Amino acid sequence: MRSNSFTYMKTYVKFLLAVIIPLSWSCADLYDTPKSELTGEQFYRNEADAIASVNSIYSVMFGTYAAAGVLFNRQLMMYEMATDDYTAGTRTRSAEVIDVSKLSHAPKNLAIDRAWQYSYNSINLANIAIEKIALIPEDRITPPVRARLINEAKFLRGWNYFNLVRWHGSVPLILWETTTLDRKTIQVEQAPEELIYEQIISDLKDAEQLPGPGEYSSLDIGRATAGAAKTLLAKVYLTQKNWTAAAQKSKEVIDSGWYALFEDFADVFKVETKNGKEHIFSSQHKGNIGFGGHRLAEVTAPVEGPFNGDNIDSPNYESDLYFSFADNDKRKNITFVTELRDPNTGILHKFSRYYFHKYWDPSTPYNQVQSSKNVPLLRYADVLLIYSEALNELGNQNEAYRYLDKVRGRAGIQHLQEAYPGLSQDQFRDSLFQERRKEFVLEYNRWFDLSRRGAAYYVNAVKAAGKQNAAPRHVRFPIPQRELDINSSLRQLPEWENY
Amino acid sequence: MGISKLRLHLFKRYCTVNKTRAFRIEVIQSHPKKYSLISKFYSMKIDQRSRYREPVFKFDLLKIVAVVTLALLCRPSFAITDEQPDKNPTHHQGEKLLTKASPPLPEKTVTGTVTDERGEGLPGVTIQIKGVPRGTTTEADGTFSITLSPEENVLILSFVGYLTEEIDVKNRVLVTVSLKPTDNSLNEIVVIGYGTQKRKDLTGSVASVSANVLRQPVNSFDKVLQGAVSGALVTSTSGQPGAGVSIKIRGASSIQGGTEPLFIIDGFPLYDANLSFINPSDIASIDVLKDASATAIYGSRGANGVVIVTTKKGREGKVMVNYEGSYGVESVRRKIPLVNAPEFARLRNEALFDRTPSGGPNQYLSEEEIARLGEGTNWQNEAFVTAPTHNHLLAVSGGNSKTRFHLSTGYFNQNGTIINTGFERFNLRLNLDTEITDRLKSGVNFTGNISSRQNAPSGTVSALLTMPPTATIYNADGSYTLRNPFENIISNPIASLHLETNEDKSLRALATAYAEYEVISGLRLRVSLGTDLSAGKQNSYQPSTVYQGSLVNGRASIDGDYSLSWLNENTLTYYKNLGSKHSINALVGFTQQVSSSESFSQGSTQFISDDLLYHGIGSGAVVTTPSSGYQGWGLMSYLSRVNYNYNDRYLLTGSIRFDGSSRFGRDKKWGAFPSAAFSWKISNEDFFGVDPSLISDLKLRASYGATGNQEIGLYQSLSTLGNDRYLIGDNIVIGYSPNRIANDLLGWEKTNQFDLGFDFSLLSNRIHVTADAYLKRTRDLLLNVEIPWTTGHSSSLQNFGSIENKGLEFGIQSRNLARKLTWNSEFNISFNRSKVLQINDFEEGFYLSGNYIVQVGKPLGSFYGTVTDGVLQAGEEETRGKLTGKTNPKPGDRVYKDIDGNDAFSNATDRTIIGTAQPDFIFGFQNHFTWKQFDLSVFLQGICGGHLLNGNKQTLEFLTGSQNASAIARDRWSPDNTDTEIPRASGDPSNFFSNRFVEDASYLRLRNITLGYTLPTPGNSPISSLRIYFTAQNLLTLTNYTGFDPDVSHRSNVSPGSDSGNYPVPRLVSGGVSLNF
Repeated sequence: MRSNSFTYMKTYVKFLLAVIIPLSWSCADLYDTPKSELTGEQFYRNEADAIASVNSIYSVMFGTYAAAGVLFNRQLMMYEMATDDYTAGTRTRSAEVIDVSKLSHAPKNLAIDRAWQYSYNSINLANIAIEKIALIPEDRITPPVRARLINEAKFLRGWNYFNLVRWHGSVPLILWETTTLDRKTIQVEQAPEELIYEQIISDLKDAEQLPGPGEYSSLDIGRATAGAAKTLLAKVYLTQKNWTAAAQKSKEVIDSGWYALFEDFADVFKVETKNGKEHIFSSQHKGNIGFGGHRLAEVTAPVEGPFNGDNIDSPNYESDLYFSFADNDKRKNITFVTELRDPNTGILHKFSRYYFHKYWDPSTPYNQVQSSKNVPLLRYADVLLIYSEALNELGNQNEAYRYLDKVRGRAGIQHLQEAYPGLSQDQFRDSLFQERRKEFVLEYNRWFDLSRRGAAYYVNAVKAAGKQNAAPRHVRFPIPQRELDINSSLRQLPEWENY
Repeated sequence: MGISKLRLHLFKRYCTVNKTRAFRIEVIQSHPKKYSLISKFYSMKIDQRSRYREPVFKFDLLKIVAVVTLALLCRPSFAITDEQPDKNPTHHQGEKLLTKASPPLPEKTVTGTVTDERGEGLPGVTIQIKGVPRGTTTEADGTFSITLSPEENVLILSFVGYLTEEIDVKNRVLVTVSLKPTDNSLNEIVVIGYGTQKRKDLTGSVASVSANVLRQPVNSFDKVLQGAVSGALVTSTSGQPGAGVSIKIRGASSIQGGTEPLFIIDGFPLYDANLSFINPSDIASIDVLKDASATAIYGSRGANGVVIVTTKKGREGKVMVNYEGSYGVESVRRKIPLVNAPEFARLRNEALFDRTPSGGPNQYLSEEEIARLGEGTNWQNEAFVTAPTHNHLLAVSGGNSKTRFHLSTGYFNQNGTIINTGFERFNLRLNLDTEITDRLKSGVNFTGNISSRQNAPSGTVSALLTMPPTATIYNADGSYTLRNPFENIISNPIASLHLETNEDKSLRALATAYAEYEVISGLRLRVSLGTDLSAGKQNSYQPSTVYQGSLVNGRASIDGDYSLSWLNENTLTYYKNLGSKHSINALVGFTQQVSSSESFSQGSTQFISDDLLYHGIGSGAVVTTPSSGYQGWGLMSYLSRVNYNYNDRYLLTGSIRFDGSSRFGRDKKWGAFPSAAFSWKISNEDFFGVDPSLISDLKLRASYGATGNQEIGLYQSLSTLGNDRYLIGDNIVIGYSPNRIANDLLGWEKTNQFDLGFDFSLLSNRIHVTADAYLKRTRDLLLNVEIPWTTGHSSSLQNFGSIENKGLEFGIQSRNLARKLTWNSEFNISFNRSKVLQINDFEEGFYLSGNYIVQVGKPLGSFYGTVTDGVLQAGEEETRGKLTGKTNPKPGDRVYKDIDGNDAFSNATDRTIIGTAQPDFIFGFQNHFTWKQFDLSVFLQGICGGHLLNGNKQTLEFLTGSQNASAIARDRWSPDNTDTEIPRASGDPSNFFSNRFVEDASYLRLRNITLGYTLPTPGNSPISSLRIYFTAQNLLTLTNYTGFDPDVSHRSNVSPGSDSGNYPVPRLVSGGVSLNF
């Protein structure tokens, strides 16, 4: 009996093993990868991937990837609210924009959060591109494209740090992709300003190796060029008050022969003349093709009549900007509008006041988010004025007049040399800043210009435009409170500590 | 009779009967009919006492207290005793016998006693003479007597809850029959994970939905769980036909992960699925597993509780054909009172005047125009209708000793209470079991379903409320108006309901097949395979005749999805009695489940004609960007469980499951989920001296275990790439960038739960009580933790933080009356308290989510807002005016409490917790009565103490005149009406979220009432039974909530209890018939 049951048991055990073992052989794959999404491991393997990774940086900086608009598609405009010439318009719903506009903003402010967030977001993407594109095997990418893409990423990273250092001074300098969630590693402390500038200059110097404006195929128009890198570098030197280097670099752009002023100021903002001879770098827009939208055109469009703009970024009607334009200044009616003919009905609508007008696209009169106009972020007029400013600081007023007057001449107004010859260095500087102010309305230059001239100049100018809250601390934006809360290595700017 | 009198009486009787044993016997024998339950009850007790040789006095006090309590509870049973305690029983018996003996030519009188399984007399048992529509019922002590003609030889004894018996009395005049219980809930089989168990042997906390609750007329079976079992908070997500419910078992134990229970449909696990594809009439039982001992066998999916659904199976015997049909009408409980056209026009005049005083007081309409307005458009009346619903089911079931089947087909059609919305379902089910050999059996459960839903366009309910009464539905030419004429755009909801297409069609098939082989006696190998296949298509078309469509000359979109999930389970179970005292039941298994789904979406705008609807998507001039997606996951598991029973006194259960899931990080794929439970049947101990007919069962249960939650969406541990776009070379170029930082350490949410429970039965199983206390702590929450933006990202999903739920649950089942009139009830009540323990690095951490706050120490779903403090009166501008939140306060502005005490009001800093969506307790109370051929079910259900955010109210008290207003606007502040809570009409759009819009949502609801009548069927009729019934769902609701209905929520964990534009839950009145052949 005993041996019998033992035999039975053996049979059953065999049977069980025969059944269980094949069943336990698993079909479920626990390391499944998503089929409709790519993961990092499947990417950065060839030239097309490399291009797409660099495109994403452009998208975050200049595209439409967030509803409120990303950095150069309006986010910087919220910072322009902290100047004399702009104010939160009647349709502004966001308290944070109103606060910046009234200069009552605190470290806890959504606009400041966003600018910081998107800047570091694009820096991270640039870091990834720089790091990963270098690792793509030789046979998968052509060397010139590899070099170009890495330099594009460096140009964009440099620009972001340039913004951050001007806004906040000392900020964390991160040059690597964050791949860990380890708390110690992700809580990065601030780097000294000088170090950040060093990095910016180094990135932009590398980016000088980018193709020149004529060297790209028509399919790549809109990418960063050597000219853009040199122009931005000139701006960096100017901001640093390194006048010699600023003069030298801007002169290099002037002498390159790549660029010239449009004869007609209107051409700077026409759809037909996009990416033209004066444009060094622009954020690219095109309406009605399913590509996001032009936030800046949308929020500055007139609210009156049928045009139904979203008057959020409004001219500061207490500022003397509008009235400082001479009547014959060709820029005035390009920059502002007081009446507008509806292209669909032919009816002329007269407005109760003036509105911004640079990005208003007549092809889509009621829906300016579909405007196809580019926003020029670096253009030749800027180079001329940088050179002029640097020359003035270096004591060469004669030459300074010459370059400034190229801009005034194009605007159709009397040359400064004729109107006010023999200005002192200080007087010339004031005139030059006034010229920059009028030339670059809605081109994200005003706050940077005011703040780099120093607190006294800033406070004076902004108070003159009716914003009595202006204080010396406003030449910097505070570090976002949220970042301070979750990164114990971070310190608030001393002047912002009690706000 | 007062309590003291009763007590005295009982006491007296107790002393009497307690004198000697002999006396007791005499009493019983001499007055068999006159002794009521209570005296008998005592007699039995004494009898047993003496058998145990235990001193009687030891239990006196307990007995008296218990008897008084029971007497109060079951007074009707005692009433007879109390009324005629001293009547001469012999005389009475004689009387009765005399009457029974009077029929002409009686051939034979049969007398007897019918007892229950414990030998106690069963009152109210129906005794029918076979083949003759004549019978009687047993008396209070279970005795009966019936006269029979010579050819009448068989009696049929039937009683609710007991198996019907036929007895041959050809040669007998005295019979004693002991009926066997059918639904004695202790012997009831409970479906647990990967097996079944008798309720009395459970070690975990498992609640079953009773048959009467299960029979409610619902379109999706998950709705019957509302109030059905303790510990489950069920709220409607929408009144849209075909919409489901949200279920939280023992509180939500996750902040950002899923919190719905896992459903097991005939063995197939489904999470968060739309369950309306199952025909509720096909369901045989629903069991809800609550504690860790019960759910740990589902491992990583057990933390939110498990609901096991078993569908009907065929039985051996004659083929039964069942037809059920019902027809009913649904309507909304109430409409929201709003102002009419003249009132609205004046309101708008006031608001416009406030905004632009220079325009004068009649900027909208002059008084003459107002006088001509009439009532205006009542948008709610135009949309809410009494909607028909009908349901048909045809089922055939039966089988022989080898094969059993259940085949059913159903059709359900429900119109919504909002015009042009509805739900339609066809379904087919086949459940088949067959024994291939003595040792091998096999079976299949299949259900196939086709359903379609026409949904209300989004924003319909809000639009019905906010459309001004002065706006019209039609233009003068009879066409629909597009939108309201004012500043903020509200499109014409009636036009949208009539003209838009918003349909959702789906096909679904769920099938499981198994084979079970008995390897050796007690050892069974079971292999099962299951698939869940679904394909859906969502069609939408907005014609150019509705506002949204008019902007783009028509907008069409088609979305589709296809998903397949398969399951393989292999288990070995072994059952063995080891000697007389030990028994063991063990389970080991390996299972795997893989799911994948694909989806696409396509749309276009700018149509020449609206005629083709979504069918002509290719004729739209502008194509919107198409999209497609794929989601897949896999789960592999090893599981094991051992039940050990010692002498039917000590029961031990240990289980462990190892789950490997694709959802988690590379280094955290596998998790182990152990549990242990112990239960002690105290009443089976020798020392347990309480009389079994007083406390018949007493069981103590304790369990502890770990379960997990894996519901975090897919691919969350991977650094997936998102695509974005930019314009280069005047063309769109695609960019790819990482969405998140990879987290290889991402793992389960771990819930540890301790449960302590008691089960006891009183008074010979007439009352069953189940009580549970639990403490559930979930740690390593799947939480989006904020990370510095300098990383390039905002947050990352990490295992961080913890939350606690603890509570008490009671369930009571009782057989209150068991005579001609039977009355059974079930009552359950549950208390759950939840609290966030940690969410970030800060000790007092919190984060805001709209009008809600997630804060350490507080429950999820806490409302965070301002507190109103009346209305500003003239002269207070400089003082309380600072607390209006307005730069230029005027009398009539709302004043808010200055919570931070800085003497100024700000919506940012003057907010506090103003309520919680978590109820204090929830309960359900089901009563089932039968009397003769009638049956009546009354099901009450309620929620007490929770709050709702009445978003509709907030919108309707926004007195700007650009949209319609609540009827309370009539009482708004004006210089003539200053004693009010309602602010003035104003053009200034500041309407902060405040405690005014958080309302007590407690309610008591007559969830269901059903009255049925079973027609007597002649013996030769092919119809074996015919029941007609009338039923009403949500007929009466007692609540102070001012919205459409207090049963409203959505599935969010952080922001539940929000009623804003929700499709209201309807009430249903219907009648039906159930026919068996």
